[in-house]
Amino acid sequence: MHYQFDWSQVWQHRDLIFDGLLVTVALSVASLVPTLIIGMLIGTLGASGSRAARTAAGLYVEGMRNVPLLIHMYVWYMALAFLRLPPFACAVLGLTLYSSAYVAELVRSGIGAVPRGQARAAAASGLRPWQALLLVVYPQALRIIAPSLASLASQLIKDSSLASVIAVAELSYQAGAIEGQTFRTFEVYITIAVLYLALVLLVSFAIDRIPGLRDAPSVGRIADA
Amino acid sequence: MSETPLIVLDRVCKQYGTTPVLRDCSLTVARGEIVVVCGPSGSGKSTLIKCINGLEPYQSGSVRFDGEEVGARTTDLPRLRSRIGMVFQSFELYPHMTALRNVMLAQVHALKRPRAEARARSLDLLARVGLADRAEAYPADLSGGQQQRVAIARALALDPIAMLFDEPTSALDPEMINEVLDVMTGLARDGMTMVVVTHEMGFARKVANRVVFMDEGRIVEDRPSEAFFGAPVTERARVFLSKIIAH
Amino acid sequence: MLEALLPEALLPEVIRQNLPFLLAGLAMTVRLAAIGIVGGTLLGLLVGVIRYARVPVLSPLAALYVEIVRGTPLLVVLFICYFAIPALLGYRTSAVNAAALGFVLFIAAYLAEDVRSGLRSVPPGLARAGLATGLSTVQVFRLIVLPQALRRIIPPVFSQYVRLFKFTSVASVIGVRELTGSALLVNAREFQPVVILATVALTYLVLCSTLSLVGRLLYARLSVRT
Ligand SMILES: Nc1ncnc2c1ncn2[C@@H]1O[C@H](COP(=O)(O)OP(=O)(O)O)[C@@H](O)[C@H]1O
Ligand SMILES: [Mg+2]
Repeated sequence: MHYQFDWSQVWQHRDLIFDGLLVTVALSVASLVPTLIIGMLIGTLGASGSRAARTAAGLYVEGMRNVPLLIHMYVWYMALAFLRLPPFACAVLGLTLYSSAYVAELVRSGIGAVPRGQARAAAASGLRPWQALLLVVYPQALRIIAPSLASLASQLIKDSSLASVIAVAELSYQAGAIEGQTFRTFEVYITIAVLYLALVLLVSFAIDRIPGLRDAPSVGRIADA
Repeated sequence: MSETPLIVLDRVCKQYGTTPVLRDCSLTVARGEIVVVCGPSGSGKSTLIKCINGLEPYQSGSVRFDGEEVGARTTDLPRLRSRIGMVFQSFELYPHMTALRNVMLAQVHALKRPRAEARARSLDLLARVGLADRAEAYPADLSGGQQQRVAIARALALDPIAMLFDEPTSALDPEMINEVLDVMTGLARDGMTMVVVTHEMGFARKVANRVVFMDEGRIVEDRPSEAFFGAPVTERARVFLSKIIAH
Repeated sequence: MLEALLPEALLPEVIRQNLPFLLAGLAMTVRLAAIGIVGGTLLGLLVGVIRYARVPVLSPLAALYVEIVRGTPLLVVLFICYFAIPALLGYRTSAVNAAALGFVLFIAAYLAEDVRSGLRSVPPGLARAGLATGLSTVQVFRLIVLPQALRRIIPPVFSQYVRLFKFTSVASVIGVRELTGSALLVNAREFQPVVILATVALTYLVLCSTLSLVGRLLYARLSVRT
């Protein structure tokens, strides 16, 4: 190995890296919120009694998640250029449509894992269907899917790196810019890899500490209760 | 040689961390003898019989099977285990194989029997436990009692010189218990050496030579079955018996 | 060969004119996905079994590899394989080879986790029953634990395969002319993004749906009876 390490150049561009980090966080949060909402809605439709609703939800899920995220990005940026959306909004749109399909599938399976008797018992005690859903089914389903939901959130953060191809100045984009100026290839990419890793670890650390989720009963224990 | 007892446990002690599970357990089982082990849940019955075929390591004492020290480093455990049949409470049939393949597996891979011979032997044994017509069924398509009979056939396929049963009927619906006990009674008639953990006191009374009662990791009674059922010596055993017989 | 399968007359003008170029891109996509699937599966099995069996020394290393790769975006993994590692070790590599290496390393980390949790999900009582009949530890693993784990992991493994198939598009960022890369080049010349991107999206949609259908059929055929 003859490579001469030189981390000082990375340190000189720390402001760019920091800006990129902020954009990555902003992009992730801006996409995560609508992703969860749309995912919950579509997932609930997918678990509903209506055949039409299930088919529609299935089409959404398959259609959105079987197209690469990169293509989603290009579609909103290039193919729909007449909309004149800023790149950041295009990235949010692409990330949301793509990730919400995964969340929907998860929500659907979570609802399916709650024993049917639970909804029936709720109905028998006089709750309306939406009350049964909100008060009895969702809380149990959410606990069941919490770990997978957490890894989808990390996935979304990592996926946001693809926004760099449509010139959103997030972390990966800045890395390319710094690398172009300094040619410190190894140092730059290792630095941003570590930053992504830190973000992902931070998210799973935070989610682990949400009260009620950490000691979430397993599916089996819920079924026994 | 055949005068020596088949199974000898001598002051076996075992603990999980700091919790003792077996304390100074000594037990001798002669060839052809049927020993029933009973006692409250958590008293160490399963652990005790798993020591006999080396499925549970123990910290001190000795376990000898047919003269061989089970815990010795030099003991070839797979070979030793293929001479002891074991039947579990939850059957533990391999769900991805038919009943026939369940019975064949260890014959082919542990005993290296030719497939054709293993197959013929397996079909014989399935017939012996009354399941000749279910050889190609998967465990999921069999009732609990049928699964447990397949498990017995699987254990017998190794031509074991002793059989260990760990609560073989506890997971069964009442109407299936007898079909399994009948198979076990037949085995006992044929002279098999058996150690049976069970709470089926009818079976114990009828078939067992001796009854061992365990409590908190200790063997507190070990007596001929008539004597045990006549009048247990310890208060614990008396209370235990009255409880399970009241059921 | 691929040309023969397509009703060419139905294709939009711009696609028809650039068909050989786009099909070459598609062939590269399939090739990269195949390398990633085969290589990633082998490496993933190895790493997953090492972690399951808690092999001393190797197991913590395997865990480190899995955690690092799973915390890094694919784009960054590809940058590292194309730019950073060659710079560090002083060798030159083509974008295609770097992408292939990146896909194998990337997807293997996810597959290893699926393998490990699949192995762990086999009830320990079954292994005990196998040991009790005199099978060796290795035989118990090969004949009882592994076959059941493999069936259980087919759904997650196929969803990783589908994910990888989609992710091959990211290779375009380091200049590989796979389907997406070729389409972008065609678009740069023709500037018809709507038609071109729609065609590409539809192609991925069909291929990915087919791949996940294969996974579902396989699972249905092999599904564990419980
Ligand atoms: N793997 C284990 N780790 C810790 N404690 C255990 C383990 N297995 C069994 N025990 C404990 O050992 C004791 C004896 O268990 P066991 O032999 O299964 O009892 P029995 O079969 O009589 O119900 C119990 O108190 C149980 O909680
Ligand atoms: Mg027990």
